[in-house]
Amino acid sequence: MEIVRNITTTPPLFISTNPSHVKLNQLTHLFFSSNFSSHRFPNLHYNGNQRVVEAVNVDKLRIALLHSSVVVSVFCKPSCCEREKGENETFSFGRELMERVVPVSESNGELVGFGRAVSDNGLTASIHDIVVLPSLQGLGIGRKIVRRILRVLIARDIYDIGALCSEKERLFFEACGFGDDILGSTAMMYTRAPPTLSHYNSQDVKHAGRMLLLVPQSRQPLSSSMTND
Amino acid sequence: MITLSYSPLYCSTRNFQLPNPSLFANLYGGLAVTKRYPLRAAASLWDSMRSSFLNNNTSQLIEPLPDEEEEVPQEIVLVEKTQPDGTIEQLMFSSGGDVDVYDLQALCDKVGWPRRPPSKVAAALKNSYMVATLHSIRKSPDAEGNDQKELIGMARATSDHAFNATIWDVIVDPSYQGQGLGKALVEQLIRALLRRDIGNISLFADSKVVDFYKNLGFEPDPEGIKGMFWYPRY
Repeated sequence: MEIVRNITTTPPLFISTNPSHVKLNQLTHLFFSSNFSSHRFPNLHYNGNQRVVEAVNVDKLRIALLHSSVVVSVFCKPSCCEREKGENETFSFGRELMERVVPVSESNGELVGFGRAVSDNGLTASIHDIVVLPSLQGLGIGRKIVRRILRVLIARDIYDIGALCSEKERLFFEACGFGDDILGSTAMMYTRAPPTLSHYNSQDVKHAGRMLLLVPQSRQPLSSSMTND
Repeated sequence: MITLSYSPLYCSTRNFQLPNPSLFANLYGGLAVTKRYPLRAAASLWDSMRSSFLNNNTSQLIEPLPDEEEEVPQEIVLVEKTQPDGTIEQLMFSSGGDVDVYDLQALCDKVGWPRRPPSKVAAALKNSYMVATLHSIRKSPDAEGNDQKELIGMARATSDHAFNATIWDVIVDPSYQGQGLGKALVEQLIRALLRRDIGNISLFADSKVVDFYKNLGFEPDPEGIKGMFWYPRY
């Protein structure tokens, strides 16, 4: 069963900023279909010569959605998402009519695009998890998602909007109007690993995808004798 | 303005109500903004329906309690010095207290940072995942209970409570720099974040402080991941 991308024009879309329109099972399915992970350094396994990321933790995803300031979801009619070669679908006139007349919404559409932003609702925001179904990529849907996120953030008076981008994502964000920081800052991530595993118990080491991160030592409260640090 | 962050009664009350004081702040931060209230109510309604359906009685809008083995303490006295005249100076770290916006503005002036609108700063502090502060408390031997408290350092982190976090605004008073206080602030933030399994901890460092963060375990542009910012084009 081959999937042929004979979709050259964007199908009718429904873009929503209502977080309750996102159903978690649809979202995990979208992540899976797009081979996307919320971890920056996800665990990978190899299926033949394809790199497949680990499945997302649904509970964590639910929490992440609850605490994201902006959640954008894009729906389209299921018939517009994929065309399977060699399958001739002819609908009855009534069904064809209903398909064309009823507008797509979150209840009758399939989730094909997603994006969210995390913000302190005052000064800064950062954009995460921009995902579009592979068969609909390259049509400008991702850019629509980012523009909608930007619109919502600007309406809340937040202009300091950043995004962490891998090599592939950099071109996409440049096309959306992002650029290197004019103040010349460097993006850094915490990647300190424990030197040897055997010395640390599970409390001192945390997993983030395939990264092993060392938890810094807790500062003990000082005794009340006179000491100089 | 005297903040109550170091009064034991205040701290224990907040601890009793909710395990994570910054979640507490986020909860009320979300409900205080009228525009977002309907979204929060819808999300919490969906969540409570789902949780009751799954018979999981620990999750409503507040997510399940983190493991209570080691709490990041509300307050720690990091340093205690006695001056020649008998005054005791304590440097106290706190992660649950309120930060006075004007104290913070004075501190930003001292390090030469540009001023930002106080209302925005207040909103940002309220909606941050965690705000870690350092205060200097001077107790004179003769005066009873008249402590001088001054904000000398702060760092904050925003997060989605699950995957990503960004550390912003790490600031230490110039006269207290070089003692490892900034390091303590950032380490406590990282500790609190990792305890909740928030693994993508990022920050945007000025060229002058890249080495400071390298020393703390941060890597610049790991695996080619760069930071980009939005610039409106007219």
